Amino acid sequence: MEKARISSIQLFLLLTGFLFGNTLILAPAQGAKNDAWLAILLGGAGGALLMGVYAAIALLNPSKTLAEILKEKLGKVGGSFVTILDIWYFIHLASLVLRNFGEFIVTMTFLETPMAVVIGLFAVILVYLVNSGIEVMGRLSELLVPVIFLVVFIISLSLITVRDFTAFFPVLENGMKPVLNGAFALITFPFGESVVFLMVFPHLNKKERLKKVVPASAALVTFIILLVFFRDIFVLGSDLMVRSTFIPHLTSLLLPGFNVEPLIDITLMIGGGVKCSVCIYAAARTLCQIAGIGDYRKLTGAISTFCVVLSIWVYANVLEMFNFSENLWPYYSLPFQIVIPLLLLLLSFRKKSSQSNERAKSQKGKDAAKAY
Amino acid sequence: MTGECDMRYWANCKWVKKMTEISKRKKTRNQNSDANTCLDSYEPIPKTIEEVTKRLNEVFSDCSDFMQRKISCGKYGMISILVAYFDGFVDKRVLNQDVIRPILDVFSNTELHECPGLYDRLKEYVVINNDIDDAEDMGQAVDGIVSGDAVLFIEGEDRALVIGVKAPQGRQVEEPDTETSIRGAREGFVENLLTNTTLIRKRIKNPNLKLEMMQLGEQTRTEVCVCYIKGIADDNIVRDVKERLKKLKTDAVLDTGIIEQHITDNRLSLFPMVGNSEKCDKLAGKLLEGRVAILCDGTPYVLTVPYLFIESIQVTDDYYDHAFFATFMRLLRLIALLFSNMLPGLYVALVSFHHTVIPFKLLITLAASRQGIPFSPIVEAALMIVVFELLREAGVRMPKPIGQALSIVGAIVLGEASVSAGITSNLMVIIVATTAVCSFIVPPLIRATMLLRFAFLAAANFLGFLGILFVAVAVFIHLCRQRSFGIPYMTPFSPLTTSVLRDSFVVVPFWAMVTGRGHQKYAGGASKQNTGR
Repeated sequence: MEKARISSIQLFLLLTGFLFGNTLILAPAQGAKNDAWLAILLGGAGGALLMGVYAAIALLNPSKTLAEILKEKLGKVGGSFVTILDIWYFIHLASLVLRNFGEFIVTMTFLETPMAVVIGLFAVILVYLVNSGIEVMGRLSELLVPVIFLVVFIISLSLITVRDFTAFFPVLENGMKPVLNGAFALITFPFGESVVFLMVFPHLNKKERLKKVVPASAALVTFIILLVFFRDIFVLGSDLMVRSTFIPHLTSLLLPGFNVEPLIDITLMIGGGVKCSVCIYAAARTLCQIAGIGDYRKLTGAISTFCVVLSIWVYANVLEMFNFSENLWPYYSLPFQIVIPLLLLLLSFRKKSSQSNERAKSQKGKDAAKAY
Repeated sequence: MTGECDMRYWANCKWVKKMTEISKRKKTRNQNSDANTCLDSYEPIPKTIEEVTKRLNEVFSDCSDFMQRKISCGKYGMISILVAYFDGFVDKRVLNQDVIRPILDVFSNTELHECPGLYDRLKEYVVINNDIDDAEDMGQAVDGIVSGDAVLFIEGEDRALVIGVKAPQGRQVEEPDTETSIRGAREGFVENLLTNTTLIRKRIKNPNLKLEMMQLGEQTRTEVCVCYIKGIADDNIVRDVKERLKKLKTDAVLDTGIIEQHITDNRLSLFPMVGNSEKCDKLAGKLLEGRVAILCDGTPYVLTVPYLFIESIQVTDDYYDHAFFATFMRLLRLIALLFSNMLPGLYVALVSFHHTVIPFKLLITLAASRQGIPFSPIVEAALMIVVFELLREAGVRMPKPIGQALSIVGAIVLGEASVSAGITSNLMVIIVATTAVCSFIVPPLIRATMLLRFAFLAAANFLGFLGILFVAVAVFIHLCRQRSFGIPYMTPFSPLTTSVLRDSFVVVPFWAMVTGRGHQKYAGGASKQNTGR
């Protein structure tokens, strides 16, 4: 067990940066068109609940990582099997984020640069970061994640002159179904992905702060996604918004008099970097724990290389990427994000209650013995 | 059982204790081995003056500045005393007045049979000077002579008196050239260690101000002093500093720069992990914040640890000025730091990759000014930066009068001629000039900036803004990884330390900063302790 400790504010920013990640680029709830704000509100609430489940698991099993919890609850064979599936999930997630980043850069800024160069260089920096340890990741997020908020607010405020504030009417034109679909998509991406943080929660220096950090982070991210959605729909209108590939980028181009395109790169790189590094860190740590390797740093290079290759190989083109993240990803990640954690939570509760029952019984027994 | 009793018996014997003490002393003497004085590890002082003279002449052969004088006093001149010292190192007038004259006066009529108590009489009431020490063996006596004391050998004694009559040497206390300030004290440290410690004591009148001396350097045996305020400085850091200094094995310690290189946490990092200062009030402030200072004889630069990133943009003036102004200056320094690192890189990225980001009208001017330039932007930028660095280095090494001529040449060459000759564009000159000006605003980071500038330039030429971003993030990761004596380098930003954030980019007024003892630990800058509120 690594002895590194992160403070609650570091965890908050790490979590917020993670949830931010590539969310703004892919705009998961946009299927609901101009009702997406309802989907975002619902999805945010659901996501907060789901993250509450993760936090509860972490609180019921203090200072234990996901691999250790799984081994304890599901036995050695079953636990190892599920852990390996989880490792795959983390690696897959990291490579999808890398692909998002690379696709965005190659589509928008560097049209002639091979994507492998962009992703490869990014991965080199990620390896450096992950090898520096979770403490450094926390400290770096303290420096860089606030930049995301700053950029979002600057762009939102600068666009205040070119808005049409009625763009989100009419409400519920297509009924509730697209809204519910959008909400479900939003729960699994980005909120459900924070299941990775079960590997990071044990590092928190004050465990009870988890109860505050997790909902606060979910609320902030929901608020910002909502803010960005309203900004985009006020500026672009629902029709153009649904059609465009990278919405925030298009919005930033509409800024009168000044081009802030590089700022979008910065937010994507910081958010994506945090998300990727946490995923790689979690994958490496989990693999270490299951294989009994002492130092996870031996694995980060290999895992990152694998992620780079996987990210280039996983989609044929950008349209497939959007299709996958909208239609397949939510169902693909259901077992990892919802089924396994709920199972763990139930098992943890049962164990806890049985423990307390036993304690109560033994106490009773003692009392009875005393009475005799 | 008997064995144990025996042990206890032996341990209680006084002479055993004495023996162990002597052997201990032998060990310590072994450590600073006297290669060039040819002394044994523990050599007793001969009882007769003739033998002492002989031995000293052997040790100090070919030392033309070595002086010894034999004084014969007492009735019939029967008492012989030998004074040995280095010429020029001791203050002869003090030596004559405080040591030799009283000896001659007091002992003029002493009989020889009174001699046995002579040593203690000398020590207790004859010699006027306060700074008296015993030398138990020849090594200590030689050490005393070498470090500028006068040593008195007395006929028939196997001890010697070491009397500190060092002549005040070196320059006067004056204003340092490096860290000039508009407000605040103008006193700077000098080469003499004792003067420096006095300057610190003058500012912090407190018995908790500790000054621990040690000798470093096999050949030079330089006096090095670890200075801290007990109760404010972290004990672990003080211990760590002392341990690192003791581990330091080197022949020569000529400057604190050498110590810095040995004790720094990351020797490969471009960023300074140990601070240095020439200003007394700045050092006093650092000590009051709980830092540990390392003073070294022979240099005016004093080291302070732990050193944090934020300290490089803190200036003592900030604390004496209006808080709003100070905050503005801090932000200005931060911008200067960013500019001096990234400006050439940003220019190259804009010109080579991101035309769309440049406002249209500026783009036209830019294109016009770049017309006819034979080089690509990066060659142009690298060329101009190298020329500037050459000029800067020449300006530093030149004598001052020639330096002025140099600056005129530089201004003409860099400014007008290169543009009209068609080597660089007008805008490039502005960029390099701004970079140059900015790089002088944050002196502690000047070395890091100089090299990082080229890294940013290369990255910008390779991947535009994205390249700059990659390098910037890598630098940030590097900064977050570092620790200076256990304290994370980027404190107070990461880890976020709200109590010291008041003295970061934002400077709150001094009266609001002073909230409680120990609150401002490692905030950097000048004194901000509780002043009794």
